[in-house]
Amino acid sequence: MADMFFVWNRRIHYYLGLYLLFFTWLFVFTGLLLNHPRWEFAQFWPNRLQTTTQHEIQMPAGATDVERARDLMRQLGIVGEIQWPAQQSGPFAFQVSRPGLIVDVKADLERGRATVQRNQLSAWGVMHLLHTFTGAPAGDQRNRRDWMVTTVWALSMDAVAAGLIVMVFSSYIMWYRLKPKRFAGVVAVLLGFISCGALIVGLKWLT
Amino acid sequence: MRRLYVITRDLHLYIGLFLSPFVLLFAVSVFYLVHGLATRAAPGPFDPSRAVAGVPITPEIARLQGRVRVDALRPVLEQLDVRGEVDFVRHVANEHRLIVPVRLPDRDTVVDIDYEQRTATVTSRKHGIGDAVVYLHKMPGPHNADLRGNSRLIRLWRVGADATAYLLLFITVSGIYLWVVLKAERRVGLLFLIAGMVTFWVMVYAVAA
Repeated sequence: MADMFFVWNRRIHYYLGLYLLFFTWLFVFTGLLLNHPRWEFAQFWPNRLQTTTQHEIQMPAGATDVERARDLMRQLGIVGEIQWPAQQSGPFAFQVSRPGLIVDVKADLERGRATVQRNQLSAWGVMHLLHTFTGAPAGDQRNRRDWMVTTVWALSMDAVAAGLIVMVFSSYIMWYRLKPKRFAGVVAVLLGFISCGALIVGLKWLT
Repeated sequence: MRRLYVITRDLHLYIGLFLSPFVLLFAVSVFYLVHGLATRAAPGPFDPSRAVAGVPITPEIARLQGRVRVDALRPVLEQLDVRGEVDFVRHVANEHRLIVPVRLPDRDTVVDIDYEQRTATVTSRKHGIGDAVVYLHKMPGPHNADLRGNSRLIRLWRVGADATAYLLLFITVSGIYLWVVLKAERRVGLLFLIAGMVTFWVMVYAVAA
């Protein structure tokens, strides 16, 4: 019984690692990009393709702002996650985003006209936004996830994180079984926890 | 060949063990970030504060900008016993005030300095472990690149975050090598690798295309 547990623990470590390989590479690589905003090759915002167009619209249907925005997006052929501005004043305005595309919509509902500004991002921009695209900014009650695809992507981020946690614990079990490597392993784990813990607590001598 | 395998296996093991708390930190903070759970409210009027007079500051500091201003503020903050990464400083010119947010992973402090009167009000708020790991996950990050790393903590963390990324890349590549060597696991492993690749590209296509 115990042997079976160890066999499956090892297999889970292999299989999960292989299954999550591309997700892990994406988040590791984009993490580096986010932490090095001065890397020239990955600049995407100055190179974005920006277009502004005017559209005739019909009064959007719906009881709430989200429903009206969704109806307007349908009329304009836009899909994505709705982001509301901090303060709504003047025209009916919102932003629709997805990795690779950011669209600003300003609609004059009384005159039946909308201005649509599209920012098409390069592959670097897509990768950059895949890392941060959650649709749920902390502390922003107005902007909650409203696009099914965002929810699926957010859940996949959860799954990758959970998978990495499982891989860490399965590696501890595999290491524990290797008696000659226990001591050196303890040293490695302790060094990791001490350095990481010191940074979390923000020891005074570090600041 | 055998020697390469043994060296790779040992490096995979020990580097992986050293890296494990960092991986746990990044992985756990993902749940907070994805679901917007760590709000990290700024210090407010109900948080503990203290007033300090005779702050060693001159009005010339108001003329400085960006990193130069932060560097000039550092000795003042040390005098006030405030430590951490200085964020974007707000200058309220008509009131002769500088509002200086200073962050540690588990604490935010706002130092409100009147550079004419040479007084300061220091307000701080303690945060939980969730806020601390989210803060570290997002640091140094893409914003305020000119200011980032003005404290030793974030300079060190920048090295730690980069090292985590590079070593994790090594762990994945060495893991692939160790798997390929294991003949018994090749077929099923390949199925998982292909399944993962297909899932990844379908997801990316759905979100971005």
